Amino acid sequence: MELWNQLMGGFATAATPMNLLWAFLGCVIGTGIGVLPGLGPAVTVAMLLPITSQVEPTASMIFFAGIYYGAMYGGSTTSILLNTPGETGTMVTALEGFKMAKSGRAGAALATAAIGSFVAGTIATVLVTLFAPVVADFAVTLGPPEYFLLMLLAFTTVSAVLGKSTLRGMTALFIGLALGLVGLDQITGQVRYTAGVPEFMDGIETVLVAVGLFAVGETLYLALYEGRAKADLNKMGSVHMTRKEWRRSWPAWLRGTLIGFPFGAIPAGGSEIPTFLSYATERKLSNHKEEFGTTGAIEGVAGPEAANNAAVTATLVPLLTLGIPTSVTAAILLSALQNYGIQAGPQLFTTSSTLVWALIASLYIGNVMLLVLNLPLVGLWVKLLKIPRPQLYAGILIFATVGVYGMRQSAFDLFLMLGLGLMGVVMRRFDFPTAPVVVGMILGPLAEAQGRNALSIGSGHWSVFVERPLSVVLLLLLAAVLVLPKLWRLLRRAR
Amino acid sequence: MSSASPEAAAGSTSQALLGIGVVLIGAVMAYGATFISSEAGYAGVGPNALPWLVSVVLMVCGGWLVWEARSGGYRELEAPSGAERADWHAVAWVVAAIVANACLITTIGFILACSLCFALAVRGLRISEGKPGGGPRSSAIDFATGMAIAAPVFWMFTKLLAINLPGLTATGWL
Repeated sequence: MELWNQLMGGFATAATPMNLLWAFLGCVIGTGIGVLPGLGPAVTVAMLLPITSQVEPTASMIFFAGIYYGAMYGGSTTSILLNTPGETGTMVTALEGFKMAKSGRAGAALATAAIGSFVAGTIATVLVTLFAPVVADFAVTLGPPEYFLLMLLAFTTVSAVLGKSTLRGMTALFIGLALGLVGLDQITGQVRYTAGVPEFMDGIETVLVAVGLFAVGETLYLALYEGRAKADLNKMGSVHMTRKEWRRSWPAWLRGTLIGFPFGAIPAGGSEIPTFLSYATERKLSNHKEEFGTTGAIEGVAGPEAANNAAVTATLVPLLTLGIPTSVTAAILLSALQNYGIQAGPQLFTTSSTLVWALIASLYIGNVMLLVLNLPLVGLWVKLLKIPRPQLYAGILIFATVGVYGMRQSAFDLFLMLGLGLMGVVMRRFDFPTAPVVVGMILGPLAEAQGRNALSIGSGHWSVFVERPLSVVLLLLLAAVLVLPKLWRLLRRAR
Repeated sequence: MSSASPEAAAGSTSQALLGIGVVLIGAVMAYGATFISSEAGYAGVGPNALPWLVSVVLMVCGGWLVWEARSGGYRELEAPSGAERADWHAVAWVVAAIVANACLITTIGFILACSLCFALAVRGLRISEGKPGGGPRSSAIDFATGMAIAAPVFWMFTKLLAINLPGLTATGWL
């Protein structure tokens, strides 16, 4: 009952005209950038971080969540029509959806993606509503040793498990940690790695790294290597599904949601694994196996799309209750909270309960808005794909400038942004994952503080990490996450 | 694999160079770590512990990358998307666009600097598509397009959100 009251309170906050406007604006911008290739929700939220100095926290979190969500809806439109997934999570949608579009069923693919996203997003939001407070209650009992290990777990999964090469993932993670080291030490206030540059005293801004690596990196990569690559746009049909397509879609939506949510909720996130898992499941269960990979099977769009949305929504659980981001966008949302001096973690549900519940309520509202924005109006969004590439990417550079310069009014940051952009190009060319850089940079200082606090508690003895039952469990989990995928690969090769 | 094609050889050379680069970053981190105090307090590890860890791991990773590059190339490498050869001419314009923006933004203001950045970047990206960069006329159009994007953004941030962006004048309009 208390839960219900809190949720209703959240709706009361989220449904004020101003907050509804922010949610709507977020959904519109999110869908737009989801549709446009070259911009993801992470970069967009990063570029808009300067507004945190002016807009109050609840409104801006609602706004950012709308962008995060909207990009998922918009991304599937692009991957179905253009076969260039903007987000890694929609890679699988591109697999089947593009095939469906090629054989003239783009409308059905778009419909099942949008409705599936809605169904999965709403169910996942209900699950967040139910579980997040429970997890938060539990998380209050955790001490620095457990937090430190949880963060190590997040590092490990982001860098070692999600990518193909553990070595390149680890390299990326430690580059991120290195970036996070610049500035003041959280515990002693000691200056580290500033090389006498005053700008480095406050550390390297998140905006700078995200925008440099992704937006600027992408633009430079395009100019260097992909200028001549042609992408052709599929024709759109009318957006509706036949009765038979509905019947084939809904079980896939539900299965996708069930697969996606746990992956996002445990601090081992990423939406690639659940979407691929969902795809494999649908392919196995389908009565229309012959359609997979040939003319395109609707289950292959419905399931992964639902899994993606459920996983994305579920990443809010570790973010809000533990303060641990498991995706790039979640990491940037965390730094938005940090800008307000709000510490994400179990206390968030008590200290900032208005914000948390308004945010959760706005997810319900946002899902409805997005369904409306994406189903009848999909034709409008598709027009965005007609913007010529040079103008589109040059425009992105303008927005990059706003985000980076607006954060702390320093032209020096624009040079740094270029440097990170060049690094982004090299990383992309040599197949290094970029997500660990951002997660490492934002989570690194937090993990360091927790680790050192844990050691202080144990008066310098490392045994503090094995003395408590839960930390032992986490250590075992960590070992499993590191070893199991390798073992699995070996077993498969042996067979 | 000594009988690899010339391209693969070139690839593994650049891979090795990249590995060396990572080692160098680690070395710089180690050099920086020597300036950080080790005052540990109760924890037993001080502010210099993570810096040392990061620098050592980066050097190990870099060395390992070099080893992978020398023994048949990076493992599980996905072929990079796009053309084999880099279009340095095109990217030079885009880099120039960002550098010009960074150099000029405080003197000629956000709108003009960004419009210039836009025009230069469009030119570079057009060249990358194999089209001509365009004469003064199309550059003028690009500049105007950039202005049409940059000006509303500038007004939105300075007027609506009261976020400081540099202008040519103090009026907040240009």
